[in-house]
Amino acid sequence: MSLPDLVLSLADNKQMLGLRYAEWATRAPSLEADIAAAAMGLDDLGHSRVLYGCLEPLGADPRGTERESDAASLRNLPYFDEPWTEWSQFVAANAILDTAFTVMIEACVTGSVEVLQHRLRKMLMEERYHFLHGRSWLRSGIETGPLNRAWQEAIEWFGPPDGDTARLHREGKLSMGPAELRGRLEEQMETKAPQTEVDWKQWDAVRRRGRKGAIDAHTFGMLRGLEEKKYAPPTAAKQAAT
Amino acid sequence: MSGYKRVSGDAIEYEVFARKTRVEPLHQVGSVVAPDADLAMAYARATYDEERWCEMAIVRKEDVIHLWSPGQA
Repeated sequence: MSLPDLVLSLADNKQMLGLRYAEWATRAPSLEADIAAAAMGLDDLGHSRVLYGCLEPLGADPRGTERESDAASLRNLPYFDEPWTEWSQFVAANAILDTAFTVMIEACVTGSVEVLQHRLRKMLMEERYHFLHGRSWLRSGIETGPLNRAWQEAIEWFGPPDGDTARLHREGKLSMGPAELRGRLEEQMETKAPQTEVDWKQWDAVRRRGRKGAIDAHTFGMLRGLEEKKYAPPTAAKQAAT
Repeated sequence: MSGYKRVSGDAIEYEVFARKTRVEPLHQVGSVVAPDADLAMAYARATYDEERWCEMAIVRKEDVIHLWSPGQA
């Protein structure tokens, strides 16, 4: 796996995180939390756009035509496959997964690849407020189920000890490898990760996840623009035909 | 700062101040309600970041010392 593959995974996950945040823009526990969900959603969708834009300057765009028809070709974590039904899922993603992505962005910004150093730096400033939001809600207490799942998927996403992330770290392209990324995430969250066991033989190195699956059909349709077409006014041609 | 109060439980009301340029003073742009300063910062940024402020700050409303209020001057 190459650096563009990793950046594409980061972009796909940021896109899905942004969409899932936005789904809570009218369902969060308070008006302020509604607005924060919408704002963080916009931030992460914007970040995904910037990350997609980095693929060409990096020299290789791994996106193939299968992404138009196969939801399982997107590189998002299982955590984002389905809309969240509980606020605790939102908080765990906000606190753990959003911070895990930020830690990887830090590794890119302080790595040796110029395009990532320059284009991703502003994200770190915006992510500070996502972190404060997630940490504060986490301190108020949430169920352990979503929290443990978010930790597990974050550690899986960082990759195996001897995988691509470790190699990119050795090459200097990333300033942190899997162990350092995990350590940085724990430092940020001021806690150790719960006990996790990852079967790296079952791990999908392209999608950076241990579990099969894909995002729900409605969300995939929305990403492809199909949902918009359902609500678009009929064209003159269609009108003429009726 | 209006007299309207929507704080309940452990929530704290924070006033939000901002300015667009260094030469103008900070002025109040609104308020947020949150249980702690971390969340209040996140809410203030999310709610009032539409404009290009060069500075933004929050203050706990209860920390503002009133010399006098409307009708008392």
